[in-house]
Amino acid sequence: MVTKTEENQLNRLESQVDNAGGGAWEYLCLVRKLKLRRSDKVLKHGLSILNNPSKRSALGPEEWTLYEQVAVAAMDCQSLDVAKDCIKVLRKKFPDSKRVGRLEALLLEAKGSWELADKAYSSLLEDNPLDQTIHKRRVAMAKAQGNIPGAIEWLNKYLEIFMADHDAWRELAEIYVSLQMYKQAAFCYEELILSQPTVPLYHLAYADVLYTLGGLENLQTAKKYYTSTIDLTGGKNTRALFGVCLCTSAITQVTKGKSKEEKEGSQVQSLAAKVLEKDYKQRAPDKLPQLTTALKSLTLSS
Amino acid sequence: MGSSSGDLRYELSQNAYIKLVLHSLNHPTSSVNGVLIGRISPSNDAVLIDDAVPLFHSHLGLLPQLEISLMLIEEYFSAKGLNIVGYFHANERSDDYELGGVAKNIGDHICRYFPQAAILLLDNKKLEALKKSKDRSAVTQVSSVYIGNYNHESL
Repeated sequence: MVTKTEENQLNRLESQVDNAGGGAWEYLCLVRKLKLRRSDKVLKHGLSILNNPSKRSALGPEEWTLYEQVAVAAMDCQSLDVAKDCIKVLRKKFPDSKRVGRLEALLLEAKGSWELADKAYSSLLEDNPLDQTIHKRRVAMAKAQGNIPGAIEWLNKYLEIFMADHDAWRELAEIYVSLQMYKQAAFCYEELILSQPTVPLYHLAYADVLYTLGGLENLQTAKKYYTSTIDLTGGKNTRALFGVCLCTSAITQVTKGKSKEEKEGSQVQSLAAKVLEKDYKQRAPDKLPQLTTALKSLTLSS
Repeated sequence: MGSSSGDLRYELSQNAYIKLVLHSLNHPTSSVNGVLIGRISPSNDAVLIDDAVPLFHSHLGLLPQLEISLMLIEEYFSAKGLNIVGYFHANERSDDYELGGVAKNIGDHICRYFPQAAILLLDNKKLEALKKSKDRSAVTQVSSVYIGNYNHESL
């Protein structure tokens, strides 16, 4: 996850670089460190450094890392010629490198030559069966070809070996959600919460999935996870606050006619509603009337 | 720009069109969706789509955010005399022309409240061509947005 300071620093550098104020190398390093996907900017600024021989030699050994970064960014922007050139340079410098081999296979993927890329990846995997990036590329290829069940299968196999890869669990959960397989998505989020219980993002996503599944038990659990998100984010997460209100009204709708009394539930809901109203007053006062009506309709249906 | 489907005509205003194109272009690597706002024309033969509200670019299949957004949007626009008249969706992959389960369900839901709702699936290849073309008229030309009238009666 990107911290607030890092985000501010990134935005500052980005605007500086975009306005030709220098600092391109720091920007590229930060993007690389945070593993962000800003391919068009990386391509533009990276190429400006690489095409300028004096700037390029000023980088020293970092020059090759930049070539790699620009190659990947070029492939993401479909500038395959740029990518090919970068990879050629790298291949000349490092003739036996597996890392360059990976880039070449990535280029095949970008061109759309799926079988050739698959062969390349399989041979790379033979030499190094525990290379996480190559496994993940296979999943990506399946997804890109539209073979979502295949992607799920590869991803599950990958996760059997590399159970601690949180990004992979998140990807799997998102694929399941897009296919509306909510139970399986819930399982992925459970794994994530177990391994990283203090990350509010997972609590929030898990609560969302449970709410979507529906049913009294799921709604009650969802409400618990929304409240834990609020707890973890110090009450600032608007989505969780809304989630609490939605859950409470949905629960009371489901339990209408049954003799259960949920006095506690309405307390949390009214608290959440108050926080939301205060937040809207501060940040979007002209939308406050809509919020009040929406909240009223939620509490009325309870 | 309009397109006809059966007896009813749909007119997409430039404002709405630009918003939905910009939203899709802003998130080139994920699927996006949003709602279309408008009303039925006074002569009752056309649906005029005046505005578009982009919704999500991640976790499109999750219910809570959708419910809240639809509530707030409905509230805001009914004060101006407009309703939710449609839904637009752009898929993640550039060659995916199928309206997925999520899009169908949301479209379903919108049709329940507004039976003549239009579901727009964006043509990703044309979106990409839009970026490269320097011709200004291309923005308002029909970039072949596939309009499927998801008629409730046909279910």
